[in-house]
Amino acid sequence: MDDVRSALVRCFEAVFPDLDVERINEATPRTVAAWDSIAHTTLLTVVEEQFAVEVPIDQVEHLVSFDAFVQWLSLQRNSNHRSEAR
Amino acid sequence: MATIDSERTGEESGFAGSAGIIWALVDALRIVNGARERTGRELDVVLACGFTPLHLATFLNATLQATTSRPVRITAGGYNDLLGTLRKIVGERENTAATAVVVEWQDLDLRLGVRHLGGWGPAVLADVLRNAEAATQRLATALEALAETRLVALCLPTLPLPPIPQTAGWQTSGFELELAHLVSAFGARMSRVNGLRVLHEGRLARLSPMSERFDLKSELLTGFPYSRRHAAAVGHLLGALMQERAPKKGLITDLDDTLWNGLLGEIGSGAVSWDLSHHSHEHGVYQQFVGALAEAGVLIGVVSKNDGLLVEKTLQRSDLLLRPDLIYPVEAGWGPKSAGVARVLEAWNVAPDSVVFVDDSPLELAEVKAAFPDIVCQRFPKGDPKALWTLLEYLRDAFGKPMILDDDKIRVASLRANAARKSDLVAADSDEFLSTIEARVTVDFKNDPKDTRALELVNKTNQFNINGHRYLESDWRNYLAHPNSLLLRVSYKDKFGPLGTIAVLTGRRVGTTLRIDTWVMSCRAFSRRVEHQCIRQLFSRFDFESLTIDFCQTERNGPVAEFLNSIGAKPENAGTVVYREEFERRCPPMFHDVRELAHG
Repeated sequence: MDDVRSALVRCFEAVFPDLDVERINEATPRTVAAWDSIAHTTLLTVVEEQFAVEVPIDQVEHLVSFDAFVQWLSLQRNSNHRSEAR
Repeated sequence: MATIDSERTGEESGFAGSAGIIWALVDALRIVNGARERTGRELDVVLACGFTPLHLATFLNATLQATTSRPVRITAGGYNDLLGTLRKIVGERENTAATAVVVEWQDLDLRLGVRHLGGWGPAVLADVLRNAEAATQRLATALEALAETRLVALCLPTLPLPPIPQTAGWQTSGFELELAHLVSAFGARMSRVNGLRVLHEGRLARLSPMSERFDLKSELLTGFPYSRRHAAAVGHLLGALMQERAPKKGLITDLDDTLWNGLLGEIGSGAVSWDLSHHSHEHGVYQQFVGALAEAGVLIGVVSKNDGLLVEKTLQRSDLLLRPDLIYPVEAGWGPKSAGVARVLEAWNVAPDSVVFVDDSPLELAEVKAAFPDIVCQRFPKGDPKALWTLLEYLRDAFGKPMILDDDKIRVASLRANAARKSDLVAADSDEFLSTIEARVTVDFKNDPKDTRALELVNKTNQFNINGHRYLESDWRNYLAHPNSLLLRVSYKDKFGPLGTIAVLTGRRVGTTLRIDTWVMSCRAFSRRVEHQCIRQLFSRFDFESLTIDFCQTERNGPVAEFLNSIGAKPENAGTVVYREEFERRCPPMFHDVRELAHG
């Protein structure tokens, strides 16, 4: 979980360079003025790129906070681990 | 910095356009973020496209930020209104530095995109073609007006056309060909506009394969149709198009095994070749390329270890694919190539960093590089057509200009006119270079009459050959069988690799002297002081105060005479005497690790 969070922080830092780590952990479109539709798309792309995942269309509108990203990425990782274990 | 892809096109990329580096989006963002504190006059760039620019703007920004110290500001145009954006910029008083214009199919007709469902039936397609033709005309007019006031980098449609079901996917439809023709004609017209540069689809295809360019999900969600990789590639190349880089000015080329196949001094003017029948066509391709560079105004000079008269004669061959009047200067001689390069630079009056040197020998390249670190040195890859292609592409990048001007074409004539003043440059002292190449000389005094490898070298060497004598194998064996005769074979290697046996010497003890009857040395070993080492080894092994060399001047053995003069021995046909004391006084420093081959 920690490595997901730290990698995700780097993604947020790239998209929102004015945010410090503390604000990144609490980031949502409501708390970050720069989080508009363009920033959201950029963030999704950076996350896809850095974590080598593809965000399904139906998840796009749900990934609207740092925590939401953490949970979704953790689920992806667990799912991958289960697949590998089989 | 992490990259997801990279490719090299030469020893030095020189500028971003040739390096072909594709950044990850996160890295591009970091570059852009890192440049936020820059101050000074902004580089204002408009990115005009009909779609949401998203990552394309980021990659273009990062590319420009990476190549300038100025702050860069990218302004995007309106969505779905490329023509309107262009007309708006034309009407603006305040000029931006440059405009990047990206045309996609939907800019020619919205029905060529997927966000507008206007139909793909046959009747619709005919209308699409008419619309597209009119759109290219309007775009052309706007772009011509735009290019009058600022630099324009134009990217023609890069995405695959939608899978319009007229034909199966492996059959091109007439509609697709008509569209391609239309865009091609539009691009050709634009390429002739001064101040407008068209992005090269072939280079783009290397960085971004056609099948990986379109991102339907992104197009549907955000109106941005490019995959991340494709956005990176287009942004990168648009940035390269906008750079005001200085192309290289001059190409200095070697001759033997580079401009042509074969060693001129060995096989003569008529036998060097560059054609299919001699399996030397790669040299013809290179010649043709260099000829085209010359006609485009690139300075072409020659530096070759060769006989000047022979070179002059060969450069006049009617089948040469490079006009001899466009080659200037020609430096043919026996000194270090760096000295020849120095004279070329003087004649051209250009700085080393504006020059590319091409030679087939890694050693020669290294010697020139050591003397002129700023010169780009490229190896001519004899026998490797694939590498030749890479070399030509590199040279195209290095010398390419947005447009060829009339001034470019007269440069060589102008230089020739000014060439009355002679260069007074002295040969570069190469001690520093020679001391670093880890040269090892192996001497072998074994007198083996059956060894025909030594004879082979004797019978094929012309330039460093004391008398040009040829031997039949039987004569050779008989000579070596005499109890007073000696055979010295010398091998050479350095950090660039082995040259193998490069010198052969035979002699006889006659009274109080050693008489040298045969001495040849490969031209590959010139300027490495191997000839000096040969003499030293003889004096070291035999307790004589002098050697007598059976010198006989030939048409091609000028290097021997030059060498003998340099060590204080007057080249005379009756026999040239080399005195130990005089030799040691004049001998330059040698940096060879000398080993004698032991025979059990």
